[in-house]
Amino acid sequence: MDALEKGERIHTAVVTDSADPSLIGRRWWRSGRRNGGTLGSPSLDDKVAAALPTLFPPRESRGALSRDFEYREGGRAGNARVYVELHGPPARMVIVGAGHVAIPLARLGDMLGLRVEVLDDRPDFAARERFPEAAAVRVIDFRDPFADTPLAPYDHVVLVTRGHSFDYECLVRLLRMADPPDYIGMIGSRRRVRATHEQLLRDGFTTAEMGRVRAPVGLDLGGQTPVEIAVSVAAEIVMFHSGGSGVPLVDKERVVERFFSRRSPGTPTPSRRATE
Amino acid sequence: MDEKELLARLAGLEEPAVLATIVSAKGSTPRKTGARMLVGTGGVIAGTVGGGCGEGEVIEAAHELFRGGGPRTVRVDLTDELTSWSPAVCGGIMDVFIERANPDLFTRS
Repeated sequence: MDALEKGERIHTAVVTDSADPSLIGRRWWRSGRRNGGTLGSPSLDDKVAAALPTLFPPRESRGALSRDFEYREGGRAGNARVYVELHGPPARMVIVGAGHVAIPLARLGDMLGLRVEVLDDRPDFAARERFPEAAAVRVIDFRDPFADTPLAPYDHVVLVTRGHSFDYECLVRLLRMADPPDYIGMIGSRRRVRATHEQLLRDGFTTAEMGRVRAPVGLDLGGQTPVEIAVSVAAEIVMFHSGGSGVPLVDKERVVERFFSRRSPGTPTPSRRATE
Repeated sequence: MDEKELLARLAGLEEPAVLATIVSAKGSTPRKTGARMLVGTGGVIAGTVGGGCGEGEVIEAAHELFRGGGPRTVRVDLTDELTSWSPAVCGGIMDVFIERANPDLFTRS
């Protein structure tokens, strides 16, 4: 628990199947250079320890999978199916701008299991009581917005400040980081996003770097209110992690059309409000 | 149930319990690898490995451990015929590992 709070990368392993039944249920763990327990064979422990760096990508902080291992113990060959979990530091949702959108977004981020941190330069907005679900609420200076918020590649940053000049300051800082977060989103209309990108180009950023930014942030749900916008951002984060397409499942699976009717492919399912 | 909740629940256990973890999943299963459920003698304490789709089988297997059985992998097949109206029609197969849960489950040295 302490190691988890400190943000260490902890691996736990358990034998779930083996020709040698005495191994089943044996557990082993490693945290940094420390380890404990055993999978029932020192050689199997070594095999799993050696495989850890290849099991989970370094940019991931969580993971779970099963692998088959072969080992030799006392001259005899053995095999075991081992289930390994990676318990890294919790990924964060860092919301910059403590306004209308931030309030529902902080709640949704917490529900998604992210560690929510809210930043703003206005003490009245970056106030603890406005964000009961947040793990941290910080008053910042936009000249160095992430001074007290070191970011990891698996963190999520959502820029929803009151002005695009502030969003821009944050964006430049993020893109200049040695290893920026994989998810960087910025709110904005097409026009304002375009203006931001023009400024990025003038400041010497490449189109590849610009392409790292999710702007406008969120999925196209057509919503307008702060809650609806927050849902669209939260939905994009789920999609980012799960590899979904973002299209309605009914249109992706097309069960009626595939199995029951002759409706021409690609006809969208009607929504309450027709596309304008 | 995330690890923080799991560790807190393990630390506070006052009755025998079994931890069930999805260790692999193929096809359409309601929960994926890594999902966990803590089962007590009186029923589910926390978490889920998929609700109606296969959870009953896992709870039954957990009760075998309370009666003295050892840790094992339960294969849950959710590929029943659609027309059977069984709850197990999600379309996938998953392996759920069940073991006795105790406060030092992850930290034994």
